[in-house]
Amino acid sequence: MADALQLEPEKSEKKRKKLSTTLILFLALTAMVAIFSVLSKDFYSFLNISTMLTNISFSGIVAGTLTFILITGGLDISIGGNIALTSCLVAYLFNLAKPVPGWALVPIALALGAAIGAFNGLFITRLDLNPIITTLGTMSVTRGLGYVLTKSRSILIMEDVTGFIGRTVIPGIQIPIPLILLILTYILLFFLLGHSKFGRKVYIVGANQAAARVSGIRVNRVKFMLYLISGIAASVSGLILTGQTAVGMPQHANGVELDVITAVLLGGTALSGGKGSILGTLAGVLILGVLFNGFTMIGFRYVHIRVFQGILLILIVALYELREKKRY
Amino acid sequence: MGSALLEMRGVSKQFPGVQALKNVSIDLGAGEVLGMVGENGAGKSTLIKILAGDYSMDVGEILINGQKAVFRSPSDASSQGIRVLYQELVTLDTLTVAENLFVGHLPIRKGIGLVDWKEANESAKAVLRQMNIDLDPRTIVGDLTVHQKQVLEIAKAIHKKATILVMDEPTAALGEEDTQSLFGIIRSLKEQGVGIIYISHRLKEVFEITDRVTVLRDGQKIGTVRTDQANMAQLIGMMVGRELAEFYPKREIPVGEVLMEVRDLTIKGIIDRISFSLHRGEIVGLFGLLGSGRMNVLRALYGLDGYDGGIIRVKGKAVSIASPDGALGHGIGYMPIDRKLEGLALGLPVATNITMANIDQIGGGFFYNYKLERQEAEKWVRDVSIRTPDIATAVNSLSGGNQQKIVLAKLLETGSKIFLMNEPTRGIDVGAKVDIYQMMENLCEAGAGILMISSELPEMLSMADRIIVIAKGRITAEFSRQEATQEKLLHSTTL
Repeated sequence: MADALQLEPEKSEKKRKKLSTTLILFLALTAMVAIFSVLSKDFYSFLNISTMLTNISFSGIVAGTLTFILITGGLDISIGGNIALTSCLVAYLFNLAKPVPGWALVPIALALGAAIGAFNGLFITRLDLNPIITTLGTMSVTRGLGYVLTKSRSILIMEDVTGFIGRTVIPGIQIPIPLILLILTYILLFFLLGHSKFGRKVYIVGANQAAARVSGIRVNRVKFMLYLISGIAASVSGLILTGQTAVGMPQHANGVELDVITAVLLGGTALSGGKGSILGTLAGVLILGVLFNGFTMIGFRYVHIRVFQGILLILIVALYELREKKRY
Repeated sequence: MGSALLEMRGVSKQFPGVQALKNVSIDLGAGEVLGMVGENGAGKSTLIKILAGDYSMDVGEILINGQKAVFRSPSDASSQGIRVLYQELVTLDTLTVAENLFVGHLPIRKGIGLVDWKEANESAKAVLRQMNIDLDPRTIVGDLTVHQKQVLEIAKAIHKKATILVMDEPTAALGEEDTQSLFGIIRSLKEQGVGIIYISHRLKEVFEITDRVTVLRDGQKIGTVRTDQANMAQLIGMMVGRELAEFYPKREIPVGEVLMEVRDLTIKGIIDRISFSLHRGEIVGLFGLLGSGRMNVLRALYGLDGYDGGIIRVKGKAVSIASPDGALGHGIGYMPIDRKLEGLALGLPVATNITMANIDQIGGGFFYNYKLERQEAEKWVRDVSIRTPDIATAVNSLSGGNQQKIVLAKLLETGSKIFLMNEPTRGIDVGAKVDIYQMMENLCEAGAGILMISSELPEMLSMADRIIVIAKGRITAEFSRQEATQEKLLHSTTL
């Protein structure tokens, strides 16, 4: 981990403090794993950990891409609707009288996600609309279309390609495909944010959009790309969820926005933009996953955990706010 | 005259590091218009803010009708009948004329406690008619012109029994016709015995409307003269007065071929067919008052705001400039007027800021080359003598002068040949100024051309090889460095 941390760009005083934030998060994660292992003898087993990681894969992927958007000071809450519509469309197409072949489902799903992302991006950049409102609208449209397409029912989809994506475990190493996808996504995003020219532009747009423009950065293009990537990532998550559950339904990923935003903020990305890191988000995703799973294992009910999660979100934002104030 | 309507005696005010006002005294009679002129930073705003109760004075006293007055807040000042109309009007744009007029004390219908709109609109109409103002009380204020808003503010002040009215650059955003209409209102206010302090850069207007003029310079009162006994040259002499400082490192640099040629550049309603050219090795100054359109020229040439007509040629080739990255592609770099707003990402490190206009050139392909970023940043920190603990320091912890040098370094890193500099040394210390002048001269020696805006006259006169004067969107004069004087420049802005 230490090597990876040192790879992070910009070793300014501020950054050093933020790196320690990431470190603190990973330490907290380790402590939580230890505590739950003591409290529940079933927690620290290969099967449970593997299940937990598989379960957070679909939300983890979109948390990674959302990190970029939050760094530019934007937000995308259409993710859940996008995931649901993807699952509905895939299941619907496979259950037609003349089914769309399995190999075609993946590109269709990705194209749908890209289209939704492009729609968000166009309205947010060209018309300068508020990202929260724009994606709130898209969230409603996509989930609504899911209900229309499935006539408000769940559509069973026992199909090989999505089954492979969602349910297959690589024999020998016993790692499920969704987890592989999560890991690949994070490696890609890590280099994109921290080590590519594009990532540099994302930070600068977030820190001062006007200065970015004067510096010749095509601010709109950068922002558009981020919403596009977010849309595609959501359709990947939609495919994973479809495969895992073998069903396309409009209620899929209901409230996933909350999980994802909580994870990103927990990882140290600021709502005001300009800072954040992929490793931080990864820590946030893992901590939330461990909390959910651990609390379930020691006997808490889902509804109670939901209440706790809302409080946690507000606490996180308050804590970072206090830290920020202290610094000045 | 008896006791004056207003007297400010021996007013001094110190800010950290600056003596903003030194022992300034003014007086204003009922029915009098007192002009107040001076360069930027002369102390006009500070004096007005003290009168408005926004600032407290360190030493001095204010007398209203001979009675000593103490202002602890703006409401103290307004209860004594003092109203300031700032350049940026503070109307409530989503409300109606009547609501603006009666804000805080709209007539209430007896019994139920709701606003009596009929009564409000009728008494507003009566108030406006009494002042010969033609405005519908039900109009939404956001739909009014700048002049109409101004008139509304004046009506509001008079309605609230203001006897002393301060107008800060009231004509800055007005055309000729509205200016004359404003003067009509000022004359009728005079007849009603209102005393007016009229602040303006436009000396022609000062001569037209004022009775006496007070000149401030460097926080001191240079003098007060009767307008009918003064002339323009005398006033300008009083305003500038100071010796050119000797820290302008101007060198003799031969002028080369044309780098950029601008023909008939037009932005509808702002600038009108402006043509000039910029050569290698020269600094061309664009001089003009606030609102003259000089900044719009610079912003249009960098693709920040569009333009409606005209031809721009770079090294002889006609180009169209639609965006900053397009301008950079043609070798045009821009230094914004406000480094915090448009120049820097304040929370990010020095190195990131220096290279942020050049990201695509830092490393080949997909990856950003941090090692190259470090090398480039370290080179410019050395060459532009930026004083910073290291290149990883966030720029918001550096001084204004060093921040400005970072903006300059960012420009140099892009390898541009044409530099558009909007107030290159605004608000920085003398040492940093000299460093920036040195860099500008170095650039000229290396074959670059600089188009510069500066509202500091000495800087303009000492650094520019040629000065183009812009007034109301047109070029009114051009002077070589040898011909140009402060008087000529200021005079040309009134043409």
